[in-house]
Amino acid sequence: MIKHHPESTMIQAFTAGELPASLSIAVSIHLELCPHCKAIAAKMTQALADEEFNEELELSSNDDFSAMMANITAEPVIPQPEPKNVASEIEVEEKTYTLPRALSRFADSKWSGLGNIQRARLPLEEGEVHASLLQIGEDSAIPHHTHKGYELTLLLDGYFEDESGRYEKGDFIILNGEHQHSPYTAEGCLCYTVSNAPLHFTSGVSKLLNPIGRFLY
Amino acid sequence: MYQTSQLADANIKKPDPNLDIQPELNQYLLAVASDQDKAAFAKLFAFFAPKIKAFGLKQFRQEALAMDLVQETMSLVWRKAQLYSPEKGKASTWIFTIMRNYSFDMLRKIQHNKEDNLSDDLWPLYEEAEPESDHDDDHLMRAQLIQGLETLPPKQKEVVEAIYLKEMTHQELAEHLKVPLGTIKSRLRLGLEKLKEQMEQHND
Repeated sequence: MIKHHPESTMIQAFTAGELPASLSIAVSIHLELCPHCKAIAAKMTQALADEEFNEELELSSNDDFSAMMANITAEPVIPQPEPKNVASEIEVEEKTYTLPRALSRFADSKWSGLGNIQRARLPLEEGEVHASLLQIGEDSAIPHHTHKGYELTLLLDGYFEDESGRYEKGDFIILNGEHQHSPYTAEGCLCYTVSNAPLHFTSGVSKLLNPIGRFLY
Repeated sequence: MYQTSQLADANIKKPDPNLDIQPELNQYLLAVASDQDKAAFAKLFAFFAPKIKAFGLKQFRQEALAMDLVQETMSLVWRKAQLYSPEKGKASTWIFTIMRNYSFDMLRKIQHNKEDNLSDDLWPLYEEAEPESDHDDDHLMRAQLIQGLETLPPKQKEVVEAIYLKEMTHQELAEHLKVPLGTIKSRLRLGLEKLKEQMEQHND
């Protein structure tokens, strides 16, 4: 069962179209998996629409709206087939996963590996904010680290555990510099992650792993 | 008698003038969908175009871009009206979705020079369902309750489970457990208080 949800302010920003694409993808995936948050988002969308379209505004004669309207209604209407969700599947390290709708277009991403971790970066071009798919192999741990910025993890398949508990498919987990954790997965997992700074490894020898931190970012 | 007074009550609540127009807007959109009714489209256009323009000006601070948003949104309304289904929501919510989506893609183009038109993957046009919140709240509540049960002392848990999940009566349960009725009641009360505390913490 999903235990970690985006805060309502984040759902609100998502429905208003104000979140960056990387975070919007994460919220969208969560809503596809969580009927509770999906209902909240639907309510918020309706409220936003009511608010936006509430003002009394008349057509102004300065705007050449009539020509625009004529052009639009001259367009032929092609019957719209009911859009189907084509399941898009990916195979990573001999495991097959079905991607959620918001990620379906990224099925052909290029994967690169480091040890037990496979990563595919999403070409969203949002500056220092990086979005990736990460696959962690079975019986793997990522050593103790903090986050210089924030790190969002949306678990797409499998589960993992850290000091604060166990995470399952659909969980929406945001961590920042205050948190320190070392996630472990017994059977392996697939995540969507967004972060705005490299991971920072904190304990002993694993400081040598800071290059991995940059790989995971 | 009863019905008349209900009607009277309904009349006291003066609806927002805009809420009044909603069923009409739904009808126009359905007419565009089924018959490509240009007169109905003109009504939608007159209602929404100026508001979309105002939204566009807020987003882009440029007249030309705001007009692009009007053009594209209304054009999509014309061409995709068949995807609208009144059971899933109001026409204005559906049109807002189209406007928000296109505006999101435009902003991405302006800010990040990306023309990937992600929006339809993020917010599918054909399933912005009206909330069935009661049902979902119940569902969540039940899930929280079941989780909370696990943390109760065993004797309280046993009683709460029997009464609420197995729907036994207090008397049946007292006989089953061979304890006085009063004990059942006090265990139940203690258990429910603990659960209530937990739910309140959880919902903060």
